Amino acid sequence: MKANPRFYAGLDMGSVSIKAVIVNDGQMVASGLIPSGGQYKAAAARLMEEVLAKAAVALEDLSGLVVTGLGAQSAPFEAPQVSDISCQARGCHVLFPSARTIIDIGGQFTKAARITPQASIADFLMSEKCATGSGRFLQVIARILHMPIEAIGPLSLQAQSPVEFSTNCAVFAESETISRLAEGAQPADILAGVHRAMAAKVKMLVKRVKLEAEVVLTGGGGEDAGLVQAVGQALGLKIRVPETPRLTAAFGAACLAAEPTVKR
Amino acid sequence: MPFAGIDIGSTMTKVVIADEKEKVLAAHIGPTGAEHRHLALRVMDETIARAGLTFAALDFIVATGYGRINVPFSDKQITEITCHARGIRALFASAKIIIDIGGQDSKGIKLDADGKVSDFVMNDKCAAGTGRFLEVIAETLGIALADMGAIALAAEGVVQISNMCTVFAEHEVTSRLAEGAGVPEIVAGLHQAIAGRVVNMTRRLGLEKDLVVTGGGAKNAGLVEAIAAQVGFAVLTPPEPFITGALGAALAGKDLFQRGIRPQRPRQREDVTFYS
Repeated sequence: MKANPRFYAGLDMGSVSIKAVIVNDGQMVASGLIPSGGQYKAAAARLMEEVLAKAAVALEDLSGLVVTGLGAQSAPFEAPQVSDISCQARGCHVLFPSARTIIDIGGQFTKAARITPQASIADFLMSEKCATGSGRFLQVIARILHMPIEAIGPLSLQAQSPVEFSTNCAVFAESETISRLAEGAQPADILAGVHRAMAAKVKMLVKRVKLEAEVVLTGGGGEDAGLVQAVGQALGLKIRVPETPRLTAAFGAACLAAEPTVKR
Repeated sequence: MPFAGIDIGSTMTKVVIADEKEKVLAAHIGPTGAEHRHLALRVMDETIARAGLTFAALDFIVATGYGRINVPFSDKQITEITCHARGIRALFASAKIIIDIGGQDSKGIKLDADGKVSDFVMNDKCAAGTGRFLEVIAETLGIALADMGAIALAAEGVVQISNMCTVFAEHEVTSRLAEGAGVPEIVAGLHQAIAGRVVNMTRRLGLEKDLVVTGGGAKNAGLVEAIAAQVGFAVLTPPEPFITGALGAALAGKDLFQRGIRPQRPRQREDVTFYS
């Protein structure tokens, strides 16, 4: 039996994947992640069941639950909803108390936020108009290279001379990639070029919210060491990455569930 | 006196040979390949043959388009903005605004009372609002690019496409299809999206009559209609929209020649055998 019997859950229903985290005493005790797929609600219910089982807690025994993400309205439970950026801010703040700028690079969107020392949002911007700043760009190029998305980071770090694309448009870069490969360019150099193009876009976004150290990079982008390096070079500073960068919003949601203001 | 214009675009290479009365003697279009110089010469040779001329008989050759620097046998290089303006002005003396929708870029050009370029706007940074947008989505829908216009015109309504980004719009199209939306209505929405993008870009120049739509986009009746709907008045299109840049290049060469400017070097067929 744990000293503190209170368990809190955070459920992050993103556009590409659903994440769930159980927190006890401020520590993540169980977590899970599944693709969103077509059966959004059912997938979320199944994931919660799995994660609760891992933590050996029943849904009724949770002391608090917060739902976040683009699909929060489709949550399989009655629960308070908090915006994903607030959850992200809380999660990053708990993990890195000195975090002031958060960059979240997801499957569809990239977000940049500046937060106060108390983890409230000082400024926030989202890029949703162009695929270049988002994980979609990498998916498009990975498809041409016949490469799983996880292999991109390690390979790109071996780049000798990153390819410079003539524009930052993902569509034009796709055809440019095909011609460069035909000319003998190395996949590592192409990927490093994609990372640079993405980092340039991220830099534009971050500049508008006013960059302040320390910078934390979350979302699927945080799992790509090459992208993290490129963003760090573009911004000229060291980037912090959580151990499980895709889970920080769900973790933050669980942390917020423990706070009196959002308690059921 | 024959003058040749060669317009090397991102997807097509176009050559026009015109005489001193601005009459077109021959025109030919070929694909632009990775090795521009070979194809440029091939399209040029074919056009010369169609005009019943020889390479040496050409009084002036002007190259334009994004591949213009790769044409070793041209006497001068002139930007496509200037050449489009010159070509359109020869076809429509009343033209004030030109919208050129190419395979990988789109442009708005403003002409002054003398037909000179007074201002222009251009998007070559992003596939939105270019032929590439339609090409990518046509492939997703399994439709030939050439059929897109007619399909849009047959639509009984419009499915709004809210994404400008080609990558995101592709995703949006598949979602709308999954929801049961009809293909013609989606295609009409796509045309509206492109028209909105190019018209908004050109709005900065002031939208006025006569407005001419040219480039590959002008071959697409659905797109031309969507542009007319956005600007609020009827627009004009050239009979051969692909070749207005090359026509303008040929005529710009004629203008130079008539002002006494001559090719810098003796231009003989041997000059270019190195590249063939």
